[in-house]
Amino acid sequence: MGGIRHVYRWDLDKTYLRTDFDSWRGLLRAAWEKASAKVNVAGSAALMRELKALEGARVCVISGSPRQMRRTLEEKFRLDRVAFDEFTLKPNFENLLRGRFRALRDQVGYKLPALLEGRSRVPDAANETLFGDDAEADAFVYSLYADVLAGRVGPAELEEILRLCSVYEDDAQRTLRLAAEARHCDPVGRIFIHLDGYTPPARFAQYGARVVPIYNYFQAAVLLMIDGHFGPMAVARIAAELSQGYGYSLISLANSFQDLLRRGLARREDVSALRLAFEAQAAVIDALRPAGEVFEAFLERLAVVAGVRERLPEKVPIDYLEILRTQGPPGTWRHKRRGRTRRVDDPFA
Amino acid sequence: MPNATIAVDAMGGDFAPEETVKGVARLSLETQLDLLLVGDEPRISELLTRVRHNPERIGVWHAPEAIGMGEKPAEALAGKPEASIAVAARLVADGVADALVTAGNTGAAILACADALRLLPGVRRAALAAVFPTALRHGLKEDPFSLVLDVGAGLEATADDLVTYAVMGSAYARVISRNPRPRVALLSNGTEAEKGTAAIVEAHRRLAELQGIDFIGNIEGIDIPRGTADVVVTGGFVGNVVLKMLEGVAETVMELARFAYKERLAWRMGLTMLGGGIRQLKKVTDWEQYGGAPILGFDKVVIKAHGRSKEQAIFNACKVAAKAVAASIPASIAGLMVESPLRASGE
Repeated sequence: MGGIRHVYRWDLDKTYLRTDFDSWRGLLRAAWEKASAKVNVAGSAALMRELKALEGARVCVISGSPRQMRRTLEEKFRLDRVAFDEFTLKPNFENLLRGRFRALRDQVGYKLPALLEGRSRVPDAANETLFGDDAEADAFVYSLYADVLAGRVGPAELEEILRLCSVYEDDAQRTLRLAAEARHCDPVGRIFIHLDGYTPPARFAQYGARVVPIYNYFQAAVLLMIDGHFGPMAVARIAAELSQGYGYSLISLANSFQDLLRRGLARREDVSALRLAFEAQAAVIDALRPAGEVFEAFLERLAVVAGVRERLPEKVPIDYLEILRTQGPPGTWRHKRRGRTRRVDDPFA
Repeated sequence: MPNATIAVDAMGGDFAPEETVKGVARLSLETQLDLLLVGDEPRISELLTRVRHNPERIGVWHAPEAIGMGEKPAEALAGKPEASIAVAARLVADGVADALVTAGNTGAAILACADALRLLPGVRRAALAAVFPTALRHGLKEDPFSLVLDVGAGLEATADDLVTYAVMGSAYARVISRNPRPRVALLSNGTEAEKGTAAIVEAHRRLAELQGIDFIGNIEGIDIPRGTADVVVTGGFVGNVVLKMLEGVAETVMELARFAYKERLAWRMGLTMLGGGIRQLKKVTDWEQYGGAPILGFDKVVIKAHGRSKEQAIFNACKVAAKAVAASIPASIAGLMVESPLRASGE
């Protein structure tokens, strides 16, 4: 337990792996495909490798995939040369056998106690960075976890939240017990939400500045560099993997950086460190120059943003009960976001 | 080959920047284009946070000023050198972007392009070309429309200008409609060679002698919707009046049909049975489907979208721009200009 300074908790599907569970076909394919056929979200493996290499880092993976997939998923991590310290999978087969069908989709009743349990295994001083996606309720669950640890959500409120999320009674009791046992601290710095479905970032404003929607792991790497987790060389290595493995160009990376500037998450000065790192690593620059683009094009894109954005307040009080009352339980969010096409009979409409 | 980069004037148009941003956001998700939104960056950024988009494909270029639809082009451009249309035109001229799309003030767009871009050799004045749905299909792609130019870049046109428009329109139709030999006609008040203004009569004489284009003579207004010609050449004043009138007629016909649809149950039932056909007709006559009109004559691709453009029209205008870039339209026009009209006009 000693020596752990920072915990990086990762979700798996749509955060680390590109998984299609929006259709039955995709779901079946994800369940049966071999480790070598599984595809990463661009740059996720490179970023996880960089994080694992940090001194005092603990990488924990928590996934809603069934426990029966452990061997395949561990094989996938091995192929990606990614090491982890903890790997939690959902007991979905057991849920099925016990007729707990609600639990198959439930995120709060599964992830929150698993996160709290994981927290009991690390020292109080260890800070945390969490990685999730926009497909389900990661922003909600991770924020709730952070606020329970910080003592901002008390037992009565948590009990009401679990009730509104339709969490099974035994899971709710376990969660409440773990929350009561947790040592109060405020370790969660950032919650990265990978926008796999391109959900507009404004939808996450209700969770405050701690939740950072990102479109790719270059953006996450830049922000981790700004936060002091690692240096610009790590960002350059991730950029190189994005370029060589996933076809990213300097322009797409520049646009990604500019997006951070526009959202007030990075400053123009932050690019100078990157510039030095990119230039120091000649191979990176060469890899990023497939069409004769030069690094100046990268910088040029950044010079055209007007002024400096004000950052969102770091820790806004989140009204979880209001979110649940207005949006319903998290299990239903994915379907609501997808929306329905209205049938129009009027040929002139 | 790298993806085309399209500079979009985010502040131009009746529904800018909201609809422009929406159109570009959709393009970023559905195409491989690189897009540059030029305009009020804080406002554009705020809008982008509220729509689904892929920021890897979108750059924003701040331009602190904008020219309104009702402003006088020359005065507005002189007073606002950092207007979004002027900045966007300069970005295209400097090679930062390959093409320009704007739904803003037409006059300001043409003047900004004239300031920043170069006219092709032999072209004295740029022309705005528009497509109009016709009964006949055109080219290998069987496009259901013909090209009409000029529809408003200038007011009057000399015989020289009309010949140039004919060559530019022919080159455009060859590439975009994949029509190896587009039929080119002059719009006049009669089919006889001596009918029309002095400029039209002179242009007719020169076009008849011109090698390299298939000139079929004069046509009348009635021949435009029939699709007698693939390329209809006229001056900007007449072209603009014709275009707006044809648009108005199409909208009025749809309004009348809508009225009938609501008026009686029997009519509604009949029209519902014809629903598929009506939707198809609506699609063919809907200018939003065509996206935008090319401004021909510059050394770069410029697409002018309708001032009332919404998301769909912006989306299509950018796709037209990308297609024109891929087909190297300015180079094709320049090639044809060198081949034929200069020789015919004796220059």
